[in-house]
Amino acid sequence: MATHGIDAAAGDIPVADVPRRGVLGAIQAVLDVVNGALAIVSALAIMAAGLVLTWEVAGRYFFSIASDWQDELSTFLLIGATFASAAWVQARRGHVAIDALAQILPPAADRVRRWLADVFSLAFVVFFSWKSWTLLLEAVDEGQTTSSSWGPPLWIPYSFMAVGMTLLGLQLLTQVLGFRHGAQQPAHLAPSPH
Amino acid sequence: MTTLQTGALYGIATLLALFSGMPIAFALGGVATVFMLLFMPVAALDTVAQNVYEELASITLLTIPLFILKGAAIGKSRAGKDLYDALHTWLARVPGGLGVAVVLACGLFAAMAGSSPATCSAIGSSGIPEMRRRGYSPGFAAGLVAAGGTLGILLPPSIVLILYAVASEQSLGRLFLAGIGPGILLVVLFAAYAVFAWRREFAAAGVVADGGGVRSEILRQDTYTMGDRMRALPRVAPFLVLLTGVMVALYGGIATPSETAGLGAVLALALIAIVYGAWRGADLKPIFAGTIGESGMLLLIIGMSLLYSYVMSYLHISQAAAAWIVGLELSRWMLLFAILVLVVVLGFFLPPVSIILMTAPIILPPLRTAGFDLIWFGVVMAVVMEMGLIHPPVGLNIFVINRIAPDIGLGPIIRGTLPFVALMAVAVVILSLVPGIAMWLPNAVYNR
Repeated sequence: MATHGIDAAAGDIPVADVPRRGVLGAIQAVLDVVNGALAIVSALAIMAAGLVLTWEVAGRYFFSIASDWQDELSTFLLIGATFASAAWVQARRGHVAIDALAQILPPAADRVRRWLADVFSLAFVVFFSWKSWTLLLEAVDEGQTTSSSWGPPLWIPYSFMAVGMTLLGLQLLTQVLGFRHGAQQPAHLAPSPH
Repeated sequence: MTTLQTGALYGIATLLALFSGMPIAFALGGVATVFMLLFMPVAALDTVAQNVYEELASITLLTIPLFILKGAAIGKSRAGKDLYDALHTWLARVPGGLGVAVVLACGLFAAMAGSSPATCSAIGSSGIPEMRRRGYSPGFAAGLVAAGGTLGILLPPSIVLILYAVASEQSLGRLFLAGIGPGILLVVLFAAYAVFAWRREFAAAGVVADGGGVRSEILRQDTYTMGDRMRALPRVAPFLVLLTGVMVALYGGIATPSETAGLGAVLALALIAIVYGAWRGADLKPIFAGTIGESGMLLLIIGMSLLYSYVMSYLHISQAAAAWIVGLELSRWMLLFAILVLVVVLGFFLPPVSIILMTAPIILPPLRTAGFDLIWFGVVMAVVMEMGLIHPPVGLNIFVINRIAPDIGLGPIIRGTLPFVALMAVAVVILSLVPGIAMWLPNAVYNR
């Protein structure tokens, strides 16, 4: 459906194989709200980064204002956007995977493969989340800042990484547990354009 | 265990993880973490998150979400259709002009949007039905758009070239410029083939009509007045101004690549708001949903690929593999051929970003030793990876076309793309024989 020249349907990425019933369904409903809110934060952060960089050009070119904070602020915003949206992307199975074995394995074996892939992914994400929280706590304890003259505190991007990866872990956990209860995997995982 | 044995084990573990169906980002991060646990000091494990953060905190890499936003804004607007319609009115007198208009529209749109699937979708959704209505065979129409769409990873602001710039530590400005000549070469080759294929189908339709059969629409001649042509321009002119304006800002010393990305995204959103009135929440939602979906996925793959490369380097796997390749003492061109075949094979199952980040530490030192210019090689590698977008089994553009024109079927689409795969191989040979096609522009601009 087109609205004002925009193909709305093309950007509406449906939520994939998440549980919808029982306790898991309730947890998923909460996650949907949190993921949705953080997706909006991510969108705003990307837009803000665009505006900051545009201001950097305009300020320097038109007003001869030299400043050193724009690149670093943009980096914080875009890293924050990446991790804050990680669980939202996972809920839509947007983290691309190679699905070649789906064509070869019998359906039952393929279901086991998909489930194991989710379990291994969960294990890695849990480990990464743990290390992200450790990093965040160290940055807070030691008052770490970046090495630039502006020197903003590092706990800001680290906290996005820790919270984002934790939510990603929770999202994967509901998908792993929900799978046992019959939630369906998507039929096709889209390959990446890049 | 020798370094090469460790490397072989690393490779096998990677293949197992990737083919298990784990998302590529987690597969690469997981394998890297397990090898850190097994072969590196325990303290290294504490730096996993910090490593990924520090690798990602590069302003060059972080241009990617902004270029994706710019592409999504233009890609989800009607700019593609308007661009194609305008070119069609101007090229109607050229034999096979409809096909040539599609190729040119793909090239221009790819340069504005920087995305292959967005180009395929935007130009194909109007171009394919129009070509079929005008009697073009479905496979030819589909192949033309699929191939034209691949230009998105070669013409600036190609995300693939941004990653290559980071992985090879080459100038992004030079790489962008080096992609333009080969991009034009491919446009010329595709357009020439479009005219050739049109003549063949036109002649076949003429024989049928002369024999008393059905008169195909391909035999009909379109005529447009100068008024029609002029009326088509106002809607596309702003986007062409955006395209050239961003390039002037970048190469005129007004903006850095990261600033160009931010400026391009903001201007693209402003343009679709002004030209199409697309500024409400309902208009912007699909643009931002597409942007965070694609950039979030991509940056996690990049972060984990860089962790993967770090472990490979720490364990001296990449250095040993590079030394092994050098030790083979292959001739210069045999080395290039072997590496490009490797890229094609990896393209069967990996996206270009992972291919670049995983292989760069291994393949670039031998290429440098053999005397190849790494800017030139980056462009050639991008052309080879473009081929991966239109050949099975992954061939993303094939699936995009199948989605927008499902009645054509995968078989005819794939057969339609094969001549273009061959043309890209021809382009690689031409670029090898005449490297100046890629290098003259960066050398001229940077006064080398």
